[in-house]
Amino acid sequence: MIKVNIDGQEITLEKPMTILAAAQRAGIKIPTLCYDKQLEPFGGCRLCLVEIERVPKLMASCTVNVTDGMVVRTQTEKVKKARKAQLEFLLINHPLDCPVCDKAGECDLQDLVAQYGAHEGRFLEGKRKHPESFRDPIIVRNMERCITCTRCVRMCDGVQGAFAITVTGRGNHSFVEPFTGGEYKCEYCGNCLTVCPVGAIMSKLHRHSYRPWYVEKEIKTICGFCAVGCTLIAQTRGKDIIRTMPKHGLGINDGILCVRGRFGYDYRSGEGRITTPLIRKDSGELEPASWETAIDYAARRLADIKERHGVASIGGIGSGRCTNEDNYMLQKLIRYVIGSNNMDSSARFAFAPAQKYLERMFGQGVTANLIPGIANADGVIVFGGDPTAINPILGVQCRIARRKGAKVIVIGAPAGLKGFVDYKLEPVVGCEEVVLRAIVKGVVDKKGLSGENAYIENKIKKLMSPDDETIERVGVAVADIAKAVDNILKMKSPVVVIGPEAVHTSSASLNLFLLGVINYVLNGRIFLLSEKANYQGLLDMGCAPDVVPGGRPIELDIIEHKFQDLLGSKTPEEHGMNLYEMIDAAKNGKLKALYVMGDNPLFNYPDREHIEDAFNKIDFLIVQDISLNDTVKMADVVFPANSWLEKDGTFINLGRSLQRLRKALSMDGCWDDWKIVAEVAKKLGMKKSYESSKDVWEEIRKVSPLYRDVDYVGLDEQALTWPYMGEPIRGLEGDFKVEGLEQVLGNVAKGSDGFMGLTNPVLMLERPLFHSGSMSGMSKALLSIYGAPYFKISKTLALRYGFKEGDKVRVIMEKGEIDASAQIDVNMQDGVVYLSNIFEGVGYMGVVGYKVDAVVGSLVITNNNIVDIVRVED
Amino acid sequence: MKKVLLKNIENPDSALLTEYMRVGGYKNLKSAVKEMTPRDIIDDVKESGLRGRGGAGFPTGMKWQFASMDPKFPKYLVCNADEGEPGTFKDRPILEKNPHLLIEGMVIAAYALQCSRGYIYLRGEYPQAKVILESAIDEAYKKGFLGDDILKRHFKFNLSVYQGAGAYICGEETALIESLEGRRGQPRIKPPFPVNAGLWGRPTIVNNVETFANIPLIIEIGPKSYAAIGNTACPGPKLFSVSGCVKRPGVYELPMGTTLKEIVYEHCGGLVDGRTLKGIIPGGLSTPILTPDKIDCAMDFVNLPKAGSQLGSGAVMVFDDSVCLVKVYERAMKFFEHESCGKCTPCREGTGWMRNILGRIECGRATAEDVDTLIDVANNISGATFCPLGDGAAGVVLAFVNNYRDEIDYHIKYKKCC
Ligand SMILES: Cc1cc2nc3c(=O)[nH]c(=O)nc-3n(C[C@H](O)[C@H](O)[C@H](O)COP(=O)(O)O)c2cc1C
Ligand code: SF4
Ligand code: SF4
Ligand code: SF4
Ligand code: SF4
Ligand code: FES
Repeated sequence: MIKVNIDGQEITLEKPMTILAAAQRAGIKIPTLCYDKQLEPFGGCRLCLVEIERVPKLMASCTVNVTDGMVVRTQTEKVKKARKAQLEFLLINHPLDCPVCDKAGECDLQDLVAQYGAHEGRFLEGKRKHPESFRDPIIVRNMERCITCTRCVRMCDGVQGAFAITVTGRGNHSFVEPFTGGEYKCEYCGNCLTVCPVGAIMSKLHRHSYRPWYVEKEIKTICGFCAVGCTLIAQTRGKDIIRTMPKHGLGINDGILCVRGRFGYDYRSGEGRITTPLIRKDSGELEPASWETAIDYAARRLADIKERHGVASIGGIGSGRCTNEDNYMLQKLIRYVIGSNNMDSSARFAFAPAQKYLERMFGQGVTANLIPGIANADGVIVFGGDPTAINPILGVQCRIARRKGAKVIVIGAPAGLKGFVDYKLEPVVGCEEVVLRAIVKGVVDKKGLSGENAYIENKIKKLMSPDDETIERVGVAVADIAKAVDNILKMKSPVVVIGPEAVHTSSASLNLFLLGVINYVLNGRIFLLSEKANYQGLLDMGCAPDVVPGGRPIELDIIEHKFQDLLGSKTPEEHGMNLYEMIDAAKNGKLKALYVMGDNPLFNYPDREHIEDAFNKIDFLIVQDISLNDTVKMADVVFPANSWLEKDGTFINLGRSLQRLRKALSMDGCWDDWKIVAEVAKKLGMKKSYESSKDVWEEIRKVSPLYRDVDYVGLDEQALTWPYMGEPIRGLEGDFKVEGLEQVLGNVAKGSDGFMGLTNPVLMLERPLFHSGSMSGMSKALLSIYGAPYFKISKTLALRYGFKEGDKVRVIMEKGEIDASAQIDVNMQDGVVYLSNIFEGVGYMGVVGYKVDAVVGSLVITNNNIVDIVRVED
Repeated sequence: MKKVLLKNIENPDSALLTEYMRVGGYKNLKSAVKEMTPRDIIDDVKESGLRGRGGAGFPTGMKWQFASMDPKFPKYLVCNADEGEPGTFKDRPILEKNPHLLIEGMVIAAYALQCSRGYIYLRGEYPQAKVILESAIDEAYKKGFLGDDILKRHFKFNLSVYQGAGAYICGEETALIESLEGRRGQPRIKPPFPVNAGLWGRPTIVNNVETFANIPLIIEIGPKSYAAIGNTACPGPKLFSVSGCVKRPGVYELPMGTTLKEIVYEHCGGLVDGRTLKGIIPGGLSTPILTPDKIDCAMDFVNLPKAGSQLGSGAVMVFDDSVCLVKVYERAMKFFEHESCGKCTPCREGTGWMRNILGRIECGRATAEDVDTLIDVANNISGATFCPLGDGAAGVVLAFVNNYRDEIDYHIKYKKCC
């Protein structure tokens, strides 16, 4: 017990802490500038000076710990004079350009001077000069205003882990600059400007367009750009978003955001946003229509097709961008109003099958893990993608874990973890399986098996290890594998981070099994990366042919038919088609009508020709989206939908935390997805009506026991994690039968199954930090950082094909050609070229093919061998 | 008194190992390693009363004991050879003329403190010393005084030189450690102190060049005889670097507690004929200036504070009546402004402000109000800074204004020097 006296108040503390922390606890306010609760203490601004009895000098309360019996005074004349003095010093070189500074009104310096003085300047000489920098796409730097508190630097180094900026110069010529000078060229997370107490680092987005007191509303909601599910505060005025901000103490992200969450909000008003329903007329043109007409028309055509071709001819595609309520409603329409199990989504490509596979190994809920918990792991194993790009804040957690002492082992080359990796095993792209196999074999041989799960262990026993020659041939040193194994064996609470690329290859089944084994042997936690914000939610809502809301397997539901009364009909018994099957069925004329909500298959799914062909054959295509994308352009009816900033509802993140989304503002002309679907459903005979997303949620609670005790009010307070307050549906453990796996386990590929030995490189998908699919491509801010597609390519390859950085090149594939500029990356392997799938007309997916993995059911990219690369003249 | 620290330096080859050994060098290392336990050495250093020669005068034995009590290993030994305090050039003769004395002292310390790795953090502006030190280190390795098996006692100590880039603040021990780690030189929050968490977070003992150079003597004559040299409260031989208006400026090795008068008038030959004494800075630019009436003060850690100043690095700067002290302090403040690391507000902003005001006084553009502002600014810096650099800058201005107000007023009134 430590007893201290601050300003006459006796405070008893259980553990040592700074004087500042003790004072805050007692409700005593000490002014600060360089202190920030999420950062390491610095002690530079000297604003927090206090008097301590029997200590002659004033002490900085943010760096001095209390000791038993300490008597502290924070309000004496001496302290007040010192505070005023520091502020006077700070104003010496501060430009005092408050009238044109966006920070005015929420500037710590301004507020403190108002409160403590000095109100009159005694400094007669000129102030230092430093030109304002506009060189960065979204950040403006005005270093004349900088008070050298280093909050930004400590944020960038100590939390974000980007190490992009530093204080340069000395004394009163200290400025914050990127190491190389000039442009930041960093991750543009904006976390430095979030913590800057003055207007030295500012957002360009709303420069000179607002004052902090213009903010009319602050809405706490969840970022819709990925499945981390960061909490952000959207500040609005009228119909505009002023900005989105993180807040310390709130949500998974606890005071930080990534570039998408921080600056991507202007996607709303980006190019191509649709705000009125459209109907394809006889002329073949899409023309504006009223909501009533469009809904009527859609319902009529669906009823007609159902009548003529039966329920099996109708299907729906849900969306990882939409809320649980939206997805629930779509599956209700398809499954309970129309009567078909043809319900799926693009989660089918990787997230859904990977999760299902892992659940077959470990039982339900294996991916229900808290993202902030990663920071406390003592080991991080990453496979199949770069967490810092796909799910940036999860990536930051991996960095924090490393900083706290975790060993980080990566297989592949996640660029964003550079500098945070203990063992990087980077085999030739496509041969990762060899390395994983060797690691798992090593770990199992040394650690032995516990006997806990005979089914898994029987399979492990069949696992063969690649010989040293094979390992070396795929480009990894055998000794490195041994080191990685030793480190993995020391891990007590590791996390296994699995990216989508783990299952987009023909070794999907083996990869997942092996990652599962690591998890099994070490008793770790699995995180399945997911680009879309709500893949987990849409699965839980029944947007899959084989599950109904609550994640219940359809077989169980058919036996019980529990919710017939509530839903108006029984769960249909016929087999439903999954996404691949629906596409094929469309192509051969069996699927006549498709309801696409919040997805753009033409651009987002591989093999454009095939998809286009299939969609051309569909009689009636309904597309509900926010922008005029490729698929919308083919639709018969188009419904303009609200996007995540305009919606109420819930999302479930990749760690299965259920969180509440709140509408920040509305978009004229657009409706919530659930509402559009519900209106169509009503015309088709649905009895129930809903006033708001809350009503939809209330129904979900009744249908699924999992959410029985979860209401919006409770969710307002805090996010909940699976199995929420309800009961999980168990009964899935046991042997997990995976056909073909056993043969694979006993049969080591000699490396030639990968892309090795191919004379031509392969085209791989780039999943960039600055974008996450089509929505981010509407954001001017994000486009200002990454605005045009490029091929990322190694120097050797560029030389081989005869071009240089910035040249326009054409990559010729079996399934098409694509033109973009070349960007040379010296850290890259020679056998691969990267291209993103962000920019319409230049997407990766359009020029590759696919097949379905026989065991996992994931999408395996094919036809990705590059035929040739040629330079093209502009 | 027989010279110890500057022994043999008239010999042009004094830096060579052979010459050092010819006058008894490394004898003390041998007896320390062979006859004493690490504990014995620490106890002796404590008993000797040796206080650090880097400026703060912290008892060396106590520092060593703290470090040896910390269970963490490895431990690091660092020699502070940054010698950046204006007026100070007392470490230089050791570094350039007697490098083996420093090495011997460091190896004994390493043995006592069980450090296997040491660094000499050398001032960027001492290129010659770097060459000499490195060749001395080479020699010591070859003779087995450094390396993995020193004197065949299974005792390992590796030593190398790391050169700073010219920042005064890097003489402050925690900034020095930051710089050694490859970071921007800025002081760290204390506690934890380097003895517990220094270089790479490990226990680290930082001592001044001269401090290490005293160690062999303590081994040689024993702590009791050592304690009898000079002032018993802070004994030992001391190097004084004297500059300014004296006939024979230079580095003098004298017992601690020698009076200013003896230094200036006996050893340095007094002032230039016809000049009178105006003031003396006794311990380097960051120590307060003394007026001529303090000439009888003994130069040590006890008596100088009583006279209103500090021993600091023992750099005596003598000013006679030909010197304009306003000009001196304007220049001094330029130094502090330039060397302020920028970490804390009062020093970063205040030193420049004081330089501005002093500049205005010097060139005759100041008013009486400016002097009040100067005093207030200095008072506002005092006691509020993160490290002693800023504090020192304010302290010397206050001492100057208090003691030489007339001279300042004359400048303001007549717009010229008196
Ligand atoms: C601004 C500043 C500059 C310093 N410069 C030096 C220096 O150049 N050399 C030195 O030995 N100590 C210097 N010191 C003192 C060191 O911080 C430290 O106290 C000393 O190296 C400890 O060694 P000692 O105990 O042997 O004196 C400086 C301190 C401050 C605050
Ligand atoms: S935007 Fe993010 S990465 Fe860039 S400098 Fe700021 S904190 Fe660092
Ligand atoms: S830019 Fe802002 S956060 Fe960074 S040091 Fe300057 S004032 Fe502090
Ligand atoms: S995109 Fe993902 S990581 Fe970034 S702010 Fe949004 S939810 Fe967080
Ligand atoms: S007083 Fe402050 S600004 Fe000056 S050198 Fe020390 S830490 Fe740096
Ligand atoms: S808040 Fe304590 S020194 Fe800045």
